Amino acid sequence: MSGWAQFMAILRKDLIRELRTRDMIVSMILFVLLAMVIFHYAFSVKGNADLTYFTGGMLWVTFIFAMLLGLNRSFAQEKDEHCLDGLLLCPVDRVTIFFAKTAGNLVFLLIIQVVAVPVFALFFVQRSFVSDLLPFLLVLLLADIGICALGTLLATISMNTRSRDLLLPILFLPLIVPVLIAATGATTLVFAEGVGFGTVVARLLFLLGFDAVFLVAAWGTYDFAIGE
Amino acid sequence: MKKLVSAPALFLGAGAFLIIGVVLAFWYSPIDASSMGFSQKIFYYHAPIAETALVAFGISFVAAIAYLRTQNLKWDRLSVVCVRLGLLFSILVMATGMIWGKAAWDSWWDWEPRLTTFLLVCFLYAAYFVLRSVVDEEQRRATYAAVFAIIAFIDVPITFFATRFLPAGMHPAVITSGGTGMPGSMFLSFFLSMIGMTLLLVALIRRDLQIETLKDRVSDLKTALGG
Repeated sequence: MSGWAQFMAILRKDLIRELRTRDMIVSMILFVLLAMVIFHYAFSVKGNADLTYFTGGMLWVTFIFAMLLGLNRSFAQEKDEHCLDGLLLCPVDRVTIFFAKTAGNLVFLLIIQVVAVPVFALFFVQRSFVSDLLPFLLVLLLADIGICALGTLLATISMNTRSRDLLLPILFLPLIVPVLIAATGATTLVFAEGVGFGTVVARLLFLLGFDAVFLVAAWGTYDFAIGE
Repeated sequence: MKKLVSAPALFLGAGAFLIIGVVLAFWYSPIDASSMGFSQKIFYYHAPIAETALVAFGISFVAAIAYLRTQNLKWDRLSVVCVRLGLLFSILVMATGMIWGKAAWDSWWDWEPRLTTFLLVCFLYAAYFVLRSVVDEEQRRATYAAVFAIIAFIDVPITFFATRFLPAGMHPAVITSGGTGMPGSMFLSFFLSMIGMTLLLVALIRRDLQIETLKDRVSDLKTALGG
């Protein structure tokens, strides 16, 4: 099997498993919607305050934590059912496993965002940003790739340790802060000011660079992270 | 291995440079002309500590790569010793930075890019030790720690860049002083302090490495004795 076929096979396996049980997606979506309610009450210090400027930050905090939930689930299943052992016994390049798992997590995160972004926008953003949809979608995609690549690498490490899901946020959150800064800034610009490509382009380039650096770093270290 | 310089000599050398540095900083270097005034004196310790912390993390990064390539545990020992010292120096950077901030701008904490980066660095490398503590098998612990040390060190300049050039929201960075043009009388004190601090790091790394090696031998002996 070629690398591409292996990649597709692992990705398909992850998607089918999730579609059959739906436990990860459902809990992630519920978490996101609940977070919205919590944010509303956390930030409404004055009646009917305009939260447009906070929405970018709320969204990305929610996505990061939803992703932590998902990452823990996705690897716990692999580990508990000994699926990973089977995968490692197959003549598959470890890096192919990494890219397939990253892609799978990316799909789940995108599904969450398809639900969350319209709802958050409806409830919090008080101006139309349809004209800035394209730069916004690019921000989403680029930030997601960075989150999923780094998250997959660190989840692989943490699932092999004693404390598992307890460890992942501690490793993941300080590393992902740069993405959070860039993505939040860009999202807030889009939601609150509506500026087109001009002002978000620096943040887009930054996210692109982040993705490239950590995809390469993960590519170089994943062999060691996943173990023998 | 033949030792070129004995450990006490390194410590003494570090102490001498640091003392001369601080004496010159107070009695030779001029009072800073900007608004910082006298409080700028802490710079002669603050900046060398920061530089030394980054050097320590840099060494741990290189040692981590060396470990992954050779699987020789001596590189893991070097890496963990450097991260530990780097973390200690980073905490000192935060402490001196906060003191300086209080004296110069009258606030203990400002989301200034360099200080924020060091705050995140502290979290990052504290996580490194959490990671080490939850893996029991020695080789596996060393491997995971090495992977994380590599990722963490790559993240440091990116974090600095993000906090410096992509400030949250719409506000521009408040403090942008680069501090590049230093007069010679300031540079001498700074330079001597930096040499002193670097010597101190080398001395501490050597001492900690010896302790780690001794620890390993003790545990080996214990196992050999059936304990």
